[in-house]
Amino acid sequence: MRPNGKKSFGDQISDIPADFSSAIRSAWIGRERGLAVFAGVFLASLVITTVFAYGVGLSQGALQNSLNDEVYDAKVDFSSQNDWSSRTNDSAEWGSVCDELLDRVEIVDCGLVYGRQGLRLSGFFDEGFALPQPLNVIEVSGPTGNWDNVSWDYPEALENGPSINGDRIMRIVDPSHYDGELADRYSNRVVYGSWPSGDQPGINPVILPSKIASQAGIKVNDTIDSLNFTYVTDAKVIGSELKDCDGEIITRDLDAGVYQFCTVIMTLSDLTIVAVYEEWPFTNPTLLFNPVIVGDSALSVSNRTTLVSNDHAYLGIAIDRNLLPTSSTDDAADWLDANRKELEDQGYGPDGEIKIEYNDLISGTIVFLRIFLGLVQVFDYILMIPIVILSFAVLIYGLILSLEQRKREISIHRVIGGTERGLRGMVLRELAAISVAGWILGYLVALLSVPLILDAVGFMSFEKGDLDVNPTLGLGYTMSVFLLTVGISYLVARGRTKDFLEMEIDEGVRKVRATRKPKTWLQILAFGVGLLAALESYIETAGGWGPWGASGIISGFFVDSLLALFGPFALWIGGALVLGRIGGAAPRIVLKIIGWTPAMADIRRGLRSSGSNESVNRLAVILLLTLSIVTLAAVQGYTGTLVDERTASAQVGADLQVQFEGPVSEDVARQRVDAAMSALDNRAVDSIQSMTSVGSTFVTAQQGGGLVPALVLFDNHEDTLIWDSQASPIRNFQSSKVTIGENAVDFFDLDDGTVEIFFPTFTPVITQTGFEIMTTYTSTRLDYEGRHEWIPGMTGSESTQAVLIGESTYRELAGNSTVNAYTSSRWFFEVCDQTDSDCKSGLERLSAELLNIDGVSLALDWNTAHSEVERNGGLIFGTQGLLSLQFVVASMASVASAFVFLSLVLTQRKKELAILQAIGASPSQIIRLVLFEILAIVGMSMGLGILLGLGIAQSFNGFFAIFGFLFQIFLGSQAVVDRTLVWPWMELAFVNAIVLVSVIAALLLVTRRALNSDLAVVLKGE
Amino acid sequence: MLEVSGLKRGFGSGSNRLEVLKGVDLSLQKGELVALMGPSGCGKSTLLNIIGGLLKADEGRIKIGSSNPLVYGTKAPNQVIDVRRKGVGWIFQDFHLLDHINSLENVILSLELAGISSQDAERRAINAMERVELGDRMHFMPNELSGGQQQRVAVARAIAGSRPLLLADEPTGNLDVKAGESIISLFKELCADPDDPISVLMVTHDPILASKADRMLLMRDGKTAASDIRSAWGESTGDPI
Repeated sequence: MRPNGKKSFGDQISDIPADFSSAIRSAWIGRERGLAVFAGVFLASLVITTVFAYGVGLSQGALQNSLNDEVYDAKVDFSSQNDWSSRTNDSAEWGSVCDELLDRVEIVDCGLVYGRQGLRLSGFFDEGFALPQPLNVIEVSGPTGNWDNVSWDYPEALENGPSINGDRIMRIVDPSHYDGELADRYSNRVVYGSWPSGDQPGINPVILPSKIASQAGIKVNDTIDSLNFTYVTDAKVIGSELKDCDGEIITRDLDAGVYQFCTVIMTLSDLTIVAVYEEWPFTNPTLLFNPVIVGDSALSVSNRTTLVSNDHAYLGIAIDRNLLPTSSTDDAADWLDANRKELEDQGYGPDGEIKIEYNDLISGTIVFLRIFLGLVQVFDYILMIPIVILSFAVLIYGLILSLEQRKREISIHRVIGGTERGLRGMVLRELAAISVAGWILGYLVALLSVPLILDAVGFMSFEKGDLDVNPTLGLGYTMSVFLLTVGISYLVARGRTKDFLEMEIDEGVRKVRATRKPKTWLQILAFGVGLLAALESYIETAGGWGPWGASGIISGFFVDSLLALFGPFALWIGGALVLGRIGGAAPRIVLKIIGWTPAMADIRRGLRSSGSNESVNRLAVILLLTLSIVTLAAVQGYTGTLVDERTASAQVGADLQVQFEGPVSEDVARQRVDAAMSALDNRAVDSIQSMTSVGSTFVTAQQGGGLVPALVLFDNHEDTLIWDSQASPIRNFQSSKVTIGENAVDFFDLDDGTVEIFFPTFTPVITQTGFEIMTTYTSTRLDYEGRHEWIPGMTGSESTQAVLIGESTYRELAGNSTVNAYTSSRWFFEVCDQTDSDCKSGLERLSAELLNIDGVSLALDWNTAHSEVERNGGLIFGTQGLLSLQFVVASMASVASAFVFLSLVLTQRKKELAILQAIGASPSQIIRLVLFEILAIVGMSMGLGILLGLGIAQSFNGFFAIFGFLFQIFLGSQAVVDRTLVWPWMELAFVNAIVLVSVIAALLLVTRRALNSDLAVVLKGE
Repeated sequence: MLEVSGLKRGFGSGSNRLEVLKGVDLSLQKGELVALMGPSGCGKSTLLNIIGGLLKADEGRIKIGSSNPLVYGTKAPNQVIDVRRKGVGWIFQDFHLLDHINSLENVILSLELAGISSQDAERRAINAMERVELGDRMHFMPNELSGGQQQRVAVARAIAGSRPLLLADEPTGNLDVKAGESIISLFKELCADPDDPISVLMVTHDPILASKADRMLLMRDGKTAASDIRSAWGESTGDPI
């Protein structure tokens, strides 16, 4: 100890264990007052850790998911440092490089591939990535099937990646692909036949994408006489002269520019179809998508030399994915980059003269993922801001209440000589002990909950998925969470304690510090801006309201965007603060309404003193904050779940949608699906329960008017089609009813709720001048039932541009003979109960089996579509899980904070209750008074909290819609369903009931404790 | 008016047991102002709390009033609500007014809690406020009044319910000398009120204020040791008076 009484640094260090131990003891003794602080730090730690760990888990999951869709992990090209002529055209030499690569532990398989030219890239959108062209199939002929029916155009390839090539590509693989890891990966996608297991003399194997096999109508073991494909010998940007082209010069308009390519045809003969594979989804575009795969036995030596010479050869590499760090995409990228550098630095071949360019496809996937996941995480971080703010609010309010509870204790310490420094240390050490405990618990719970969040398949709905994530946080993230929770708690506590101790010195121990007046104008301004944002969002989603159109009140893009982004937060915080005052004043408000009743006569005046207390206002604000988040999470969560279901229903329309190559009758459609069922032999999907189609024709609004598409619902369509209340105002169209899509409604005259439609019949007539088409019309007047938003199984544009009529109307207009002869290329089937898991898996297999049936071009099942929408649709990977977490955490926080704050508030009012008892109040009067007061506050706050939550949910809807739209664009799916909010009243009522029960329990417990306390002691203030 | 007999009260248990009141006997007459004195920890406040229904005695009996007397002593505070409503009015050192309602409402509230109708309560409260000479401060909030005025409001609250006995626990402890004297004067006036005299039992450490009481009781060894001021003072200090 120094002479001035201060401890030396050494003493301070040596005292740490004793100080910490005494802080833990003190925290345990004062655990009740520390509960709010603990709850705040726990919540903050839980939420922030979850958000970070979710990001890690998301990147792990997405990486795993993406890797499952890739066969090759890397494409090895020979280096282009020298010109091409110096490189080998000896395929055997390529093989020797493969052998050398396989010596490395991380490479488990390697094979020579003839396909896309060598990449010289630095990014997805530069010339070095766009110019290397693949081999393109242009013509196939064979003794079986109908190859003329096959389209070799593949526009989807252009839509799902940088523009490189829009034709069906080809990949020729060497026998290294017939065993080992590469064979396993290819085999996983084979649906018919089997992947070659070895070099079979006399057989040149071909493995076809299912779509091509379906279009060609071929089967496994069918043969191909000849297969023509093109390779590229040279390329030049348009304007430059392409010299010495021995083939055809074609022009491609690519993102990198317009280029001319010299393409030469090569022919392969006598091929055997050994397998058909299910096409991969569109992920990494580097090797392009879904090739026709041919074994290299079909190539002659000169063919091989030609392809190698023209840079159409590369080595396909499979790495040991178990070695890939999956902790994050960053770690994986670092590991892969280090590998690439090592491999490229090495020389290959007998003299080490061969240099390679190692194009890491996983890194490419990671680049793609990073962009996408970055977007997802921005969305999710914003989504979690309210709950983070809430946890800090609980923390800070809890801290203030905890300190206020210690006033007397601190005063006593001061009286007996405690220094400001010493007292501050005492308080802060105790808070640090509580905060650290809250942080650790929150951290652990968060890490455990993240896998569950990523398994969310809907709001509060979880299903164990294929992902195996282990979202641990690195030291940096862990320290960030620590600093954001314990650090902030410490800083706030230090400031508050300092103020508090200074106040004690300035004003004496018995006086109360004058509180700073809150900035009411700022709160009201924030609330006003938030309300404007909610109104704007409502008007925009409703397509207009009152004098405002679909663009809303604010037309400027910048201001409108700012409002959409910040408005929800302004509404939430401003609303909670402004409405919190109303909540705090609830006893006085309710008293004005029912104060005249005899039941209130004796305690009426006692209640007038309530509500002006700062602690009561804090209770109201906390309840408003928590319950509004509960409401927000429930509304957006349920809405998201329903949007996913509606999107799947709108896309598929029924259990199963089958598209045929041309129009077929109901009987033919049934026979084909029955055939697939027989072939599949699966009990869950062995019969068609019902089927229907949606007819398509044209009507006009008046004679001679323009044609408007009309969709026809056949009788009993409800047995098959999956309808939803959002889809159409009615489902029964049997008695002259019609609904009209948004983009068609303006064509019709809607008189008195009816609309007349005309059905044109076109008849060719021979006239003196030649040949004319005569149009005759039949018409009918139908009851207009409103607009339909979408129709099961129809695309968004088909639905919105059409009128929707029933079978009876169609018969009236077109005649029975037309309707009876109805055929369609799209039929819908009800097969089994989708809630049954066997049904789900059965439908998935049935839809795959159907592709093997002649004439079937596409089969979609609801469950597969739904799964894809859940993962890739309106809301992404685990967002529903995050909303579920938000719902659960906010519900827990509302219950816990009601309990904790109520306890603190009533403890603070112990003296007031004792005074009332001293002047004659009975225990029942005290209980009535407290119950009325707190229940009025809680009830009002709950009501206002729900209203506020509904407003925030509405306000956030624009934000959700924007991000949902971005995700869908990124993943290439089409938004068909508007995000109409769902209000889950039952769930909200349930949570509020739990809060109310908790509040009553807390009230009775704490009030009874107050009543049992020693009145004399309380009044004496001891 | 007040009769206390054989009142005993101890705290703690076993070897830590401390008997504070060891059989207190005392009585107050109607209109009498009695000062209760004694060294700290002798049991003055304990005695007052038991008489005022805030604490129960281990043994003994208390009786207030003659017709329909309130008899209690060993009953828990929750069982003697009537004592606090009809028998005794409390005056505390810290006044203990409710901060968020005005002076008059503080008085009315105590009456309404006792089941008196609002109109009647208001009339009586106004009357009480006038008796303590705060007729012009009735609508002031407690923090707008001086300490002495706040204590007067507390007095008005205590007497408004026609309670025959006021218990004052160091009523002038937080007041300056002048304000303290005015409160004692008020007590004397109220005790001497020919229409509605009340009795006051006052704990104080101030011998000068105590000397203004009609009678002084000295607590010693858990009992009331004297019942007149001069002998009490003399016995207490050991000095001749």
